[in-house]
Amino acid sequence: MSEVNIQQALFSEVGQAVEAVDKLREAGINDDHIEIISGMPLSHHILGRPEIKSRVPLFAMTGFVVGFITSIALNYFTPALYPIYVGGMPLFAIPPTIILTFEISMLGLMAFSFFGVIWENRFPDYRPHEYSVEATNGKIAVVYDCPEDQRATLEVAMTATGASSVGKPEVLR
Amino acid sequence: MTTDVQMMSKAHDRGEEALAQEHLMHDPRSQEEMNGMVMEAMQDMGVKYYALVAFLAVMTGVLLFGAWGLLIFKGYGLAGMNRPVYWGLFITNFVFWIGISHAGTFVSAILRVFKAEYRRPFTRAAEMLTTFGLMTAGIFPILHLGRSWRFYWMIPYPNQRMLWPNFRAPIMWDMIAITTYLLCSTMYLYLPLIPDLAMTRDHSTGWKRTIYKYLALGWRGTERQWAHLQRAINIFAFAIIPVMFSVHTIVAWDFAATRMVGWHTTIFGPFFVIGAILSGVSAVAMVLIIVRATMKNMKYFIRPEHFDAIGKLILIVSMGWAYFFYNEFFLEWYGGEATGHVVLDFLMSSPIWWIMIICNMGIPFMTLWSKKVRRTPWMLFTVTALINVGMYFERVVIINWIPFRNRMPFDWGDYMPSPIEISITLGALCLFALLYVVMSRLIPLIPVWEVKEGQTSHSVRKVGKASISSVAELE
Repeated sequence: MSEVNIQQALFSEVGQAVEAVDKLREAGINDDHIEIISGMPLSHHILGRPEIKSRVPLFAMTGFVVGFITSIALNYFTPALYPIYVGGMPLFAIPPTIILTFEISMLGLMAFSFFGVIWENRFPDYRPHEYSVEATNGKIAVVYDCPEDQRATLEVAMTATGASSVGKPEVLR
Repeated sequence: MTTDVQMMSKAHDRGEEALAQEHLMHDPRSQEEMNGMVMEAMQDMGVKYYALVAFLAVMTGVLLFGAWGLLIFKGYGLAGMNRPVYWGLFITNFVFWIGISHAGTFVSAILRVFKAEYRRPFTRAAEMLTTFGLMTAGIFPILHLGRSWRFYWMIPYPNQRMLWPNFRAPIMWDMIAITTYLLCSTMYLYLPLIPDLAMTRDHSTGWKRTIYKYLALGWRGTERQWAHLQRAINIFAFAIIPVMFSVHTIVAWDFAATRMVGWHTTIFGPFFVIGAILSGVSAVAMVLIIVRATMKNMKYFIRPEHFDAIGKLILIVSMGWAYFFYNEFFLEWYGGEATGHVVLDFLMSSPIWWIMIICNMGIPFMTLWSKKVRRTPWMLFTVTALINVGMYFERVVIINWIPFRNRMPFDWGDYMPSPIEISITLGALCLFALLYVVMSRLIPLIPVWEVKEGQTSHSVRKVGKASISSVAELE
């Protein structure tokens, strides 16, 4: 493969963008070398793209387990280490433990889900990346990298599928 | 023949026109235009806006923090609490604001789970209500401690006294439940906000752009970013609902766990939750009406259809509140316990009890069945404001009026809030308003991407001669 060029084609309609992705595939551009940027979520079903596996649910489950263990530790080990005898109350009581265990486990679940999104997206990421402000404004940007010798052919193909502009992408700084 | 076809075609066009006029989802505008409208609303900060912010800041400073400072400096005796009413307005306010905070979760999470499309333009306004309502509520338990500066003793870490918090105590349940709900609802507010912060970044310049750039975390709107974000939002929407129920149930148990007549009842948990939803959803309606009337371009996003839907919700929740109220009242009355009857007789002789019933049942039942009332902003505002008055009085009745009469007649008494307590109550309202007014100009109040997604999934179908709304599942 000769020198790699990153190009961006902007579309007004989802259908055009999907057709453009098909054209890129026909030209031998692998899905790994194509990225779609949009101002609203477009599922892989709509775009006809490979499904993105998200580990956010795994983070959530891990968080629940961490919260659960933390709560059990707080409820059972700390009274054992620092006993406070309150009139008529057992030192280890299951019913109040259930309340706190539920709260702390759910906190763990949601906090880990939140950090899951941060981790999976490598946030915060302030390095320069391909981007288009037009995408925020409703356009769909198909960003692809292609060999230099295919650049002109693909530009024509993108324009033919309805791209309003094809060229070097903007960079988000 | 041609004339008939033309007439039918015109009727069809009128049908589509009517749908567009009625429903935001059928009145699509380009995302660029909607972004511009939201940005314009955020940047609309005239003299009146700054005057309002200054007024609220001064009132918060004087009424809330000034009075709190005086309470710390002069001592807790300045508050009007005494035997047999130990909790007074501070805990009344705490319960009331926790209730208000249920709005965000109910409106945003539950309607998201059930895919209620009309939720889209106002989920953020409701989520903000939750976050700021909780912040306001969180002040009161700290204030109620008396020695507020010793608050950190409740945090579980090995302190100098080698004591750990007593996890069996309801105040610890409160603290952990509120902390959980506050953190989770803030994350739930922030996650769907990220794409809108990126939009704000793209439409800002200078130092504002720098701030929004950092807040947007580097969001670009790639497929990967959307996929992870949506997965997390779905998890949050399901997970935060039981937390919402648990928070107000735990607040109810602060009372129900005692042996006090009128408090010690198993129905208190759900009764508090339904009351919280009633006051919270009513508060959402009030906020939306104010936002629509005072912020630019909001008439496009927030429409009578939304007030109509919220009005119906309030009516149903009000019926639910009536059901729980009657359960609680009837069994205490029918049970025939002497002290219970004394408490009920005392409550029924109080005008506050009757105001509570009129505002929470009478007014919504008599008005919200009417489409005109639901769709007319000032009418709905009046009704929802009265419901919140009723809900505040409900808290006053439960927390302050019930303890007036108990099993020991020598311990009967009364309670009148002191000027300091009234000042702090009004100050808390100012704090909430201040937070909301300031944040309404700092973050986009309308989740444009959600509105756009909704508009994309809606279309008009013709069935027979009628133009009807049709929704597709995009996920």
